[in-house]
Amino acid sequence: MDLQQKNKPLYWQSLEELNSNPEVLEAKNHEFKKGVTEDFDIREMSGISRRRFLAAMGASAAFTLTACKNYMDKGEIIPYNVQPDDVIVGRPNFYASTVTSRGQAVSALIKTREGRPIKIMGNPDHPIDQGKMRPHVQSLIMSLYDPERVAAPLKGSAGVTWEVVDEAVGSALRSLSQNNKKAAIVTSRLMSPSAKKILDKLSQKYTGLGVFNYSLTQLSPRLSAWKKSYGVAQLPEINWTKADVVLALESDFLGAEGTEAMSLGFSKRRDVMNDKGFSRLYVAEGNLSLTGMNADYRLRLRPDAQYELVLALANALQEQGLALSAALVPQAENHTLSRFASSHGLAESSLKHLVNDLYKNRGKALLYAGDRLPESVHVLVNTLNADLGADALYQRQNAPFYQAQPSAPAELAQLSKDMLAGQYDLVIHWNVNPAYDLAALAYADALAKVPVSVTLDTHLNETGEKSTFVLPIHHDLESWGDFEAYAGVHNLQQPVIAPLHDSRQAEGILLTWLADDSAQYSEKLYHNYLKNNWQDTVYRKTNSLSDFTTFWQGALHDGFVSLKGTKINYGSLNVNALSQVKRPKLEKDYLLSLHYGYATLDGEFANSGWLQEIPHPVSKVVWDNYAAMSVTTAKELGVKTESMVTVTLPGGSGTVTLPVLEQPGMADKVIAVELGYGRSKAGEIGTGVGVDVNALIDLNSDSPFIAKVDVVKAAGSHHLVTTQLHHAFDVPREQDLHTARGITHEANYPEYEKNPESAKMHGHKTFNITSTHVYEGIKWGMAIDMNKCTGCNACVMACNVENNVPIVGPDQVDRGREMHWIRLDRYYSGSAEEPTVTQQMMLCQHCDNAPCEVVCPVNATNHSPDGLNQMAYNRCVGTRYCSNNCPYKVRRFNFFDYRDRFKEAFYHKDMNQLVHNPEVTVRSRGVMEKCTFCIQRIMWARQEAIREKRDLKGSDVVTACQEICPSEAIVFGDSNDPQSSVSQYRKHVTAYHVLEEFNARPAITYVTKLRNTYEKV
Amino acid sequence: MQVAKKPNTLPDGHPDFSVQPSVVLKQPTLHDITEVISRPIETKATLKWYIAFAFSVALLMVELVGWGISFYYGTGMWGNNVPVAWAFPIVNFVFWIGIGHAGTLISAILFLFRQKWRNGIARFAEAMTIFAVMCAGLFPLFHTGRPFLPLYLMPYPNKHAVWVNFLSPLVWDVFAVSTYFTVSLFFWYTGLIPDFATLRDRTLGKDMVSKIRKTIYSVLSLGWRFSNRHWRHYERVYLILAGLSTPLVLSVHTIVSFDFAVSGLPGWHTTIFPPYFVAGAIFSGFAMVVTMLVFIRYIFDMQHLIPIDTLEKMNKIILLTGTLVGYAYGMEFFIAWYSGNLIEQFTFINRAFGPYAFAYWVMISCNVISPQMFWFRKLRRSVPIMFVISIFVNIGMWFERYVITVTSLARDFLPSSWGWYNPTLVDFMLLLGSFGMFFTLTLLFVKFMPVVSIAEVKSVMDGAQVHHHHEEDPVDTEATIIGGQPA
Amino acid sequence: MSAQEQKLYALTGLFEKPEEILHAADTARKRYRKFDAHTPYPLHGLDDAMGLGESGMGWLTLIIGTTCMLLMLSFIAWVSLVDYPNVWAGKPYFSLPGYIPILFEVLVLTGAVGTVLILFLIVSGFPRNNHPLHDTAYMQRTSDDMFGLCIEAADERFEEVSAREMLENLGAKTIIPVYYDVKEARSGLSLANPLFLGFAVVVAITVSGAGYFGLNRMVFMPPFNWMSVQPRAVAQETKMVFKDQRSMQQPVDYTIPRGYLPETFGKDQADEMGKYLVNPLPQSQEIFELGKEKYESRCSVCHGYYAQGDGRLPADVGLNGLSLHSPKVAEQWTDGRIYHVMTYGQNLMPGYAKQLTRDERWAVIHYIRALQRSLNPKESDMQ
Repeated sequence: MDLQQKNKPLYWQSLEELNSNPEVLEAKNHEFKKGVTEDFDIREMSGISRRRFLAAMGASAAFTLTACKNYMDKGEIIPYNVQPDDVIVGRPNFYASTVTSRGQAVSALIKTREGRPIKIMGNPDHPIDQGKMRPHVQSLIMSLYDPERVAAPLKGSAGVTWEVVDEAVGSALRSLSQNNKKAAIVTSRLMSPSAKKILDKLSQKYTGLGVFNYSLTQLSPRLSAWKKSYGVAQLPEINWTKADVVLALESDFLGAEGTEAMSLGFSKRRDVMNDKGFSRLYVAEGNLSLTGMNADYRLRLRPDAQYELVLALANALQEQGLALSAALVPQAENHTLSRFASSHGLAESSLKHLVNDLYKNRGKALLYAGDRLPESVHVLVNTLNADLGADALYQRQNAPFYQAQPSAPAELAQLSKDMLAGQYDLVIHWNVNPAYDLAALAYADALAKVPVSVTLDTHLNETGEKSTFVLPIHHDLESWGDFEAYAGVHNLQQPVIAPLHDSRQAEGILLTWLADDSAQYSEKLYHNYLKNNWQDTVYRKTNSLSDFTTFWQGALHDGFVSLKGTKINYGSLNVNALSQVKRPKLEKDYLLSLHYGYATLDGEFANSGWLQEIPHPVSKVVWDNYAAMSVTTAKELGVKTESMVTVTLPGGSGTVTLPVLEQPGMADKVIAVELGYGRSKAGEIGTGVGVDVNALIDLNSDSPFIAKVDVVKAAGSHHLVTTQLHHAFDVPREQDLHTARGITHEANYPEYEKNPESAKMHGHKTFNITSTHVYEGIKWGMAIDMNKCTGCNACVMACNVENNVPIVGPDQVDRGREMHWIRLDRYYSGSAEEPTVTQQMMLCQHCDNAPCEVVCPVNATNHSPDGLNQMAYNRCVGTRYCSNNCPYKVRRFNFFDYRDRFKEAFYHKDMNQLVHNPEVTVRSRGVMEKCTFCIQRIMWARQEAIREKRDLKGSDVVTACQEICPSEAIVFGDSNDPQSSVSQYRKHVTAYHVLEEFNARPAITYVTKLRNTYEKV
Repeated sequence: MQVAKKPNTLPDGHPDFSVQPSVVLKQPTLHDITEVISRPIETKATLKWYIAFAFSVALLMVELVGWGISFYYGTGMWGNNVPVAWAFPIVNFVFWIGIGHAGTLISAILFLFRQKWRNGIARFAEAMTIFAVMCAGLFPLFHTGRPFLPLYLMPYPNKHAVWVNFLSPLVWDVFAVSTYFTVSLFFWYTGLIPDFATLRDRTLGKDMVSKIRKTIYSVLSLGWRFSNRHWRHYERVYLILAGLSTPLVLSVHTIVSFDFAVSGLPGWHTTIFPPYFVAGAIFSGFAMVVTMLVFIRYIFDMQHLIPIDTLEKMNKIILLTGTLVGYAYGMEFFIAWYSGNLIEQFTFINRAFGPYAFAYWVMISCNVISPQMFWFRKLRRSVPIMFVISIFVNIGMWFERYVITVTSLARDFLPSSWGWYNPTLVDFMLLLGSFGMFFTLTLLFVKFMPVVSIAEVKSVMDGAQVHHHHEEDPVDTEATIIGGQPA
Repeated sequence: MSAQEQKLYALTGLFEKPEEILHAADTARKRYRKFDAHTPYPLHGLDDAMGLGESGMGWLTLIIGTTCMLLMLSFIAWVSLVDYPNVWAGKPYFSLPGYIPILFEVLVLTGAVGTVLILFLIVSGFPRNNHPLHDTAYMQRTSDDMFGLCIEAADERFEEVSAREMLENLGAKTIIPVYYDVKEARSGLSLANPLFLGFAVVVAITVSGAGYFGLNRMVFMPPFNWMSVQPRAVAQETKMVFKDQRSMQQPVDYTIPRGYLPETFGKDQADEMGKYLVNPLPQSQEIFELGKEKYESRCSVCHGYYAQGDGRLPADVGLNGLSLHSPKVAEQWTDGRIYHVMTYGQNLMPGYAKQLTRDERWAVIHYIRALQRSLNPKESDMQ
């Protein structure tokens, strides 16, 4: 012990030693002396224990460190094994092609990445479509990647080989002649010359094979009316840019009944930037349609009173001194304007304005009858138009072209009657769904009587369900094809991706059947046929100098060939046509008016979640159809919004029960219902959405879509999901807030013409208490022209596709959680009977003083040097404060991982994931998002500029919404560059910011809504 | 103060102090105080306690389930939407934070004002503060869309190389609430240390159980020795803490009110919010304290520790603050009208007569009208009445936050984006559950900790503090000592 | 036990009334330095009776609080001016008013916490549960209802007898000598303690286990989502939905994307190409620079910087390109002919269609021509 002590005198080993050492005690017990904590001094610990201690600690540290490594599998990298010449990894390719609906073929530019199509955009070079595209065909990208596509030939529900089908069909065709039975090929509107040729050959080869082509959206009597009036079944294109006065009769030519070209042409006359002057749009309609919302004067009129209206106008015009054609005079007499006005409760003043305008602008004024109106009205309108000299507005160049007369309702009725009678051995459906469309004809039952029925389609639908065979055909994006929807404009369609399934080119299948040799089919088959057909038709017509290969390659590259000089020519008006048609009689009781669904058209697009979730342009209802009626009518029936009514055709042939929506601005006693809902076999998304009203299409009458019906209140109620609260007309303090609060600004066009200043918004002087931030270089800005915007939703769709906007489903929309980055706000003012409607496109305003930025705790949203209000998704924790503080409420929050939640993660399936734009983050749950001004496009443009060693220009960037907008209402660019069109708009007298007094300094400028009326606003 | 004549006693021989309505009772010995306060801790809990506890724990479970659901499936399980992106959780947060304020107010501000009556309830009120802040804290934490990233709200160096936005009221909140919680905790614990020491010394450590108890108390008391050389610093620090807590408590609710006031939303963007929120907080806090005290008094038969006088004094404060809040409501309307801002005016008219009018009128009747009863002494001093009214006030104050948050958001600038808010089941689970958490913690506290500060009560007893006149040092020290009799 | 084995710590006396302890403390102060009074509650006046001055804790709070507040301010300033300046709502980079709430909270937090910690950990030397006074009858009474005076044996003027006598004179009810508790005195924190080591190991394993699970497994399970795994197809990954399971698909044969019109003449049409194709690009400065850049990155490896066939590859590789100054290339070949070689390749040389866009190829041809010209310049070039 002494020895030890010599060695280490510092340590005490025993109590005695300790006690004999008073300092230690001192230290231990007297905290007011220095060195209190000596007994915790490391030097006092026995060496051995320290080492063990350090060892233990070291071990634990080591454990913890190993735990910090991340073992997530990052997957492997798989390059091309054969690098294609025309693909550079990471750079998109653009293929000019054509996408189709059953009634339309739109020239498209399809964006692909490494051979995967990711977006369908318009083809800007196309003479008719000009790169514009309405929502429906845009959504085809999703149907391409739909996991529910038919993957292989089906017999019933079992798989079957192509050979078997070919044999079955072949034998049926061969045996037609001997046991003189009939066969039919039912297809949608024929737009493809080559396909037409094949069909002709088929019907030549096999006697008894008839070809029917129809689509509900093309059932219009317009064509036959023209045949009666002008002797040719050819429609002219209307030159909307030249029309000063337009009277739309029950016509939704800016909406579901129209084409891109119409909106484009019409909006060109609503431009404050050119001096063409505004056109004046009168709309006479029963339902409040999208076109009606854009009307300067709107006349609430029962659809079946249109004939009288035209007569009354003719009469009044005659008084003005217009020479009416002979056949018109007797009909028009004693249809005085005033009597008509009083009997239909119309304001005579606006009718007088209409008459004056029509008369004053002879040659520049036009009546345009709606697709769904009976033939008689069309003939009458043609006559009056001729008297008004409206044919100056008829454009004979590149007019709508029909490869074959669409089958008339009567023919279709006959077809299903014969099928039911068992006269048909074989029916082939190609891209049509008669079992659903022609419910009124009980087509499904008739189909059951046909021994061999084949359905060629990408998806399994009602018809396929009832057919013997279902053959998967290529999707538009997988197939070759050509279309001539406008005379002389030949679109080409080229595949942008190899077939995803064991499907075949529809025309190829027909060719095999034509050759009656199953072995003949190959992917090349139709491609070659197409080429040869072009060589001896289109190529010949163009008599170009280059050889065919070059020509063909050029055509493929451009996506179309436009042949000049192909005019349709029709003779002069046949005035007696008027006497040939039977004049519709004016009903007094309830009238049903069926419309093409804005989302679904005739039901073809019912399975697109994107379209289903886009709000109805007028009522803002999603995921549903309903019986719209005026408030008065609802009272009359004792119903309210969301209670049910039963609608019955007089014959009792069709009965449907659906929910009511009290729609302001509707004519009384009119029930407006949209087609295209209630599909029983549409797929995971579309099946059972809304109510199927096809049974109410009275195909035997001369106006299938407008019929007198019995309406009674039904039990129960059904909740209609809307993205905007129903406007409360009866709460005074909520009226006209949009104008009072400086959200929208309206002015009178004639006033504006006289004195532009009159359209200026009177704002207050706003100032910052701090020095305002200055942006050098490019500062992105947008201008939205509220005069041009029709509210067609094309921009919303384009934005959804471009920016991976999720679909949330009706229940979530009902909770107020829709995710659309672009909102089309609809404001009513005035009375529930005669409302004035204002629409406003609302999206992130990218304010300089963005209120959302300052409140974000984690710095996830802030301002970029080029004036963008940017979001860092992965920094966002989701406090949602930014949304609260956003005066425009344009921020959208992922309350769930919606792809994972909606329909049992339907949109999370591997196949569906391909639709996502690889250039845009797919946002997770709990993240705030909003319009980014297509930042990915901006960055792409910047990258290109750097690559090309030049400065980025504002005009280099085109946002998805701007590029697609059918009325060119959106302008985007550099607002720091005084030359750019954005700054032109910002400088313009009509320019204003929403909620200017809030002083958020938005980057988005709106153009005052100018109403071209005689009454001041 | 020898115990000359004992006051009338309870069956168990302990004095029944409740007969004398005075915070600190006449005539008890120091030992009596120790006894009375330590008794509930050392004896078995009553059946009443167990029933209450079981009930609270059940509620707590409900909350836990609610949080689990929200955490796993996302905030979508609640009724929140755009525009109403903040709803129940934020309402609850503000509500609980408000409750907390009473505690600090009583323990700090009244301490600075040397209000002796506070001693009976101070400890309890502080505990309530801490529990309330705990209940409140959970809401913002789990309220985010990605609740697993709370760290993003802290300015710590991270691989995003990005910091928080120091201008955001939510970051202010993070600082304010965490500060408030920490400081209150320290304040509370500092007060507890001598009492733990007392308990430690009362526990003899004979059998196993009391050994464990002793160990726990020894650890908690940090080894406090009642040394006057400690007391003198201790007292000063306690004073400092009180001094710091006073502005703190005001700042916290001011900053919470900034969450609303700093935004531009009509109905939120109001300069009156800070004082209005603080008044409201004290209002609701006192109401909650009254509720709980009445409750606890009943459960633990503590009438003698928490006499009716104390409650009456609190009711007076409730009356005062309630009237203040009422004034604020009126002022909001006046300013809305006076500002001439259409949107502002609409918002407030909409509050009173719009779709959410019911909430507004519940708020008015509970917060402004019901406290007016306290003008009458009789009602002030009637336990059942004050219990009911305090409950009303709690309800009313919850609805106040509901009105402010939801109605303003549901009808904001653009009529097109107006929305409607429907709470879901989970929303209610969380609201009720938070009460479960609060009650559970409170019950545990009253069972296992001294509900009243032993040392403090002793120090304010009659005759506890004597005037000491410093004697001159005599010339001959020895003499004095040997002389025996001190002067 | 007797005094031999035990060492006296202090002699303590218990009093019943506050007056008594005040007087006692006052008296003790005059004789001893190491003494203390213990009271169940803070007894006012005892401080000066014991001759203790004002407590200085207040200054501590002030110093800690303000220091930390200033530190915070400078941190914020650094963040918002130096490290990561940001524009929020067009506000200035540094806007003090917005920082005041935070600064205030920091002041309070650090002030309060700092003071309390210093009070207990440093000033009072807590936690400390092995003090001789603990678990004595003395302590039990002082913590409850009596006032104690404790005179430590360590005081140099301490004598047990006189101290006891003094306490008696002062009227102490009981006088208790307090001894060092041997066991307690020994109990230092020994790290060799197997219990402690075991505890340390358990903690280590739990921490690392939890850490491992937490950081590598849990955070990649739902509901955690870092948006790192994106439900979309990007280049160069697997996508099982395709037949070849690749995210990158081959374009369909015979299709033509925008900007990729096939060459007018095929590989076998060298002469036609030479005959019909002319260089579409102007001979501008930019074009020459583009050509130079591309030539030096793509061609010079084999053909050499000056196109003299002196590439940078070692001779034995056998890939050294030909000189482009040969009369064939320089005089006979048209631009189109060279273009054909560059596009489709020739002999050992591969086609460069994939590497160089058409314009780039034409630009390179201009540059090659310039190089050729530079070897045998004309008179006109001399100006």
